[in-house]
Amino acid sequence: MTSTLNRPAATSTRHHGGGRAEHRSSLLAPLAKLPYWVGTSALAIIFLYPLIWTGVSSFAPRAGTSQTDGWGFGNYATLANYQAGIGQYLANSAFVSLLTVALTLIISTLGGYAFARFSFLGKNVLFLLTLGILMVPYATVLIPLYVLLSRVGLQNSLVGVALVLTMFQLPFSIYMMRISFESIPPELDEAAKVDGCNTFTALTRVLLPAVKPGLITVGLFAFLTAWNDFFAPLILINDSNRMTLPLAVSNLRGQVQGVVDYGATEAGVVVLALPCVLLFLILQRHYVTGFMSGAFKG
Amino acid sequence: MTTTAPNRTDASKPGPPLRVAVGKRKRRPGGQRGWLYAAPLAIFVIALFIVPLLLVGQMSLSDWPLLAGNRGINAPENFVDAFQNRFFLDALVFTLKYTVIATVLLLSLGLGLALIVQESSRWKNFLRTAFLVPSALGLASASLLFYVLYSPIAGPFADLTQALGFTFLGTADSALWSTVFLIVWRFAGFYMLLMMVGLQGIPGDVYEAARMDGASRWQTFRSITLPLLKPTIGLTTVLCITGSILAFEQFYILTKGGPDNSTITLVQLIYSIAFQGQNNLGVAAALSIIVLVVLVLINIVQIRVIRTDKEN
Amino acid sequence: MHSSRGRRSPFRVVASLVAVGALVGGLAACSSSPAAPESGLAQAGAEGVDDGSTLTLWTRAPLEKQAKLLVEAYNSSHQNKVELTVVPNDDYVAKVGAAAGSNSLPDLFAADIVYAPNWVQQGLFQDLTTNIDGLSFKDQINKGHLDAGTADGKEHVLPFVLDLSMLFWNKDLFKQAGLDPEVGPKNYAEFAEYAKKIQALNLPDTYGTATGLNCGGCTLFTWFPSIWADGNEVLSDDGTESLLASDDAKEIYSTWKDLVDSGAVLPSSIDEAGPTWTAGFTEGKVGLQFYPATLLSSTPFDAGVSGIPGVNGGQSTFVGGDGIGVSKDSTKGAQAWNFLNWLMSEDAQVGVLAKNGDAVSRSDLTDNQYSSADPRVVTINEVAAKGKTPVALNFQQAFNAPNSPWLTMIRNEILGGKNTVDADNDQISAVLSQ
Repeated sequence: MTSTLNRPAATSTRHHGGGRAEHRSSLLAPLAKLPYWVGTSALAIIFLYPLIWTGVSSFAPRAGTSQTDGWGFGNYATLANYQAGIGQYLANSAFVSLLTVALTLIISTLGGYAFARFSFLGKNVLFLLTLGILMVPYATVLIPLYVLLSRVGLQNSLVGVALVLTMFQLPFSIYMMRISFESIPPELDEAAKVDGCNTFTALTRVLLPAVKPGLITVGLFAFLTAWNDFFAPLILINDSNRMTLPLAVSNLRGQVQGVVDYGATEAGVVVLALPCVLLFLILQRHYVTGFMSGAFKG
Repeated sequence: MTTTAPNRTDASKPGPPLRVAVGKRKRRPGGQRGWLYAAPLAIFVIALFIVPLLLVGQMSLSDWPLLAGNRGINAPENFVDAFQNRFFLDALVFTLKYTVIATVLLLSLGLGLALIVQESSRWKNFLRTAFLVPSALGLASASLLFYVLYSPIAGPFADLTQALGFTFLGTADSALWSTVFLIVWRFAGFYMLLMMVGLQGIPGDVYEAARMDGASRWQTFRSITLPLLKPTIGLTTVLCITGSILAFEQFYILTKGGPDNSTITLVQLIYSIAFQGQNNLGVAAALSIIVLVVLVLINIVQIRVIRTDKEN
Repeated sequence: MHSSRGRRSPFRVVASLVAVGALVGGLAACSSSPAAPESGLAQAGAEGVDDGSTLTLWTRAPLEKQAKLLVEAYNSSHQNKVELTVVPNDDYVAKVGAAAGSNSLPDLFAADIVYAPNWVQQGLFQDLTTNIDGLSFKDQINKGHLDAGTADGKEHVLPFVLDLSMLFWNKDLFKQAGLDPEVGPKNYAEFAEYAKKIQALNLPDTYGTATGLNCGGCTLFTWFPSIWADGNEVLSDDGTESLLASDDAKEIYSTWKDLVDSGAVLPSSIDEAGPTWTAGFTEGKVGLQFYPATLLSSTPFDAGVSGIPGVNGGQSTFVGGDGIGVSKDSTKGAQAWNFLNWLMSEDAQVGVLAKNGDAVSRSDLTDNQYSSADPRVVTINEVAAKGKTPVALNFQQAFNAPNSPWLTMIRNEILGGKNTVDADNDQISAVLSQ
């Protein structure tokens, strides 16, 4: 329903936009475009500069870091050899992130499907409660969560961290998947049922491919959050060997009293950011379509 | 599609948040099956959200020091203490101030950027990517990044700021704006994307018609784009206000509430009552409940406003 | 109608059941008083038990270096294995609090010594009185730390790592300013005079002194000793009243105000909230600074060291650092005591701490093979005996917290130029006596 409305609208916007640009450029030629180029370039620089600067200066020499003479990988060496070694932290972070992504995808696919295609008792209550997760201060629910997780034996466990992070991803993911399913015309389900599918096979065979952009967006967001999250592992993990990368970076920053190792901090930010930025660039097209495919249409 | 007037009924179809209310209209069979699919979600929400929330509720009514644990009901003492905390009013005012600034900036910048990159061309695709890349960073990483960037020792502007006798986090105002800059940098792309989705939903022939009527760009923007974008603006406002009122990490890493306690947000106050001194979970929980109630109220009002807007 | 509705809402029934269960469960979980598990501390004997158990130990990031050396040395010489977990400094309390609430504290954990009175009173540590009393050298153990961990006559905490505030100066800059590089200032007025002299060299990017004026911990750590050196106090004996509006204290504030106004203080000190408060000195940009002694080994140039001069002369120091004890949740008290007993031994104090250039916690070990190699270490150890550790239950909230009234007071005095010291001091007392 939403998508049928969406498609023609999208194409005509583009058409219209092109027409306007043509119209202007034919009249005022390159000169009028100058402020535009300068302005947009400046904007791009503002947005990219902090990232590039951090990347560059993590290799640069600086007193009080591990890279004091000339350019090199000194800061990264410090990071790599910190406590259990960066490999362990990367593995922990990867485990937590992937488990969070998997859980988020499963729950939000099933949940989004339920909200979009079925009516059941308590549906609206459940949906509102899910959105309510957004409104609770993170710091305060963590203590009760810690108490609860330790009662079921999940204290000091990366699985526990993934469960908590998944819960915090749910408002966005459920919302997104609900809209994604709703934007698929119901005729598709009907057709599948005529072909002998039940509701579950209709979901897995017919609908899942159609909501792929939504799934990618949800998965990407879950990954970014889980990879970067600091407080959940801080409170829930006790064991140095099970710490995640953000926690290790934060520890490294304040290792010596009164001195911040800026170099190691920069290297840490780079190592934290790099997988996210790469993944983001690779998935960007799907991710943008995920949003465009009807979600957040007001 | 031959409409000349803005096709309002179509463009402003009840959006997602509102479907909650009107969802009952579409009666579909299979209530039990629906529950089956919703069960994992329900389990998560109940076990990891509702139950902890109830525990927070219990804390707010109890004498509950962080280190010693529950010492029994003492209601309503925690709420009284929360309101009487010497930073409560400051934190409330500052949080609201920050929320207004962040919301206005993020929404207007998000819309502005969306208008710039809306069409597709090589340069615009590059710009779009440039604006979006910061949102790939976690808020904590981004805050750490700016912590170094703003540093008077290691930052790239260290010499410049020293020459000017200025520091990014030194005064109440500069700390606020430096943090706002970080937030805008991190989130503008995200809001741009939401705005783009909204813009895309505006039928092109509406613009066509406006152009034929000889409307200027500004007139078109004011009388077509903005009104038709209202649902999107409404949704993004809800998101942005909620996020800003719960602002914590950026201030926790960059300013720690300083200088001179000028940048304490409500959540930071909660954190400091719980973990930095008073170590009183009861009062912290009471404050969390207050924030939660305020947020729910704000959001109900906002959704009401959006909805009545639509009905008109 | 009533009944049909009841039948139709299994959801509501389940939800309310879960809710009730959770509340009851929550109550049960948290009302269990710290009736500690039988930990075996009482049967630990003098040496404790070394039977190959695994012990867990938490400390905060600034002490990581010392903690790691100690743990490595213990593990290589004992069958017990200690597993060390390092927690970011600012989040240590949150972490300990969360663990305390669900009875999952590690066997051993360190506490910033100024928090120890509070944590002991909250019951986080087990009583070590019998064990400590059994030590032949008990009277030589740093008294400040022992006292901080003593409640109702029962001892709970031993010194883990001592951190002392000392006056450090850059000998090279002293020479350039025509000052004797071997002798530090004798009182506060001289301290200010020296700082201004170094400032007057007008060297690029070089300043007289530095501190963290937006850091409660940095300032109390380095300013309290100047009051103690005069024989005065900063807190009442019971730790509920602040005496920081005294003449001595006012003298300190006005000296710093004068230094800041005359431009002799590193500009970034004004906003410094702690993370980099010693960086300027370490990089050689600062003439003299009150500075943590644990950084002696990582100060890359020739620095002079003395105790912190009193306002009117004399010397003292703030005996900070961390105390360590056996947590209420430990069931391996006898093994944990084995670690603590070793920690206080000459092997650990001299063989690990002194070797690394850190202060020892036993006064009978201050003269050792390593200290004689560096006379500055002797100086530090000597001043340590004159030092103090303030004891107050609400110390963190009154002084260390980012929004503490102490910080408000010194910023009002030094940067604001407001004359509100008495009112501000009352505010500190109000928090202390809560």
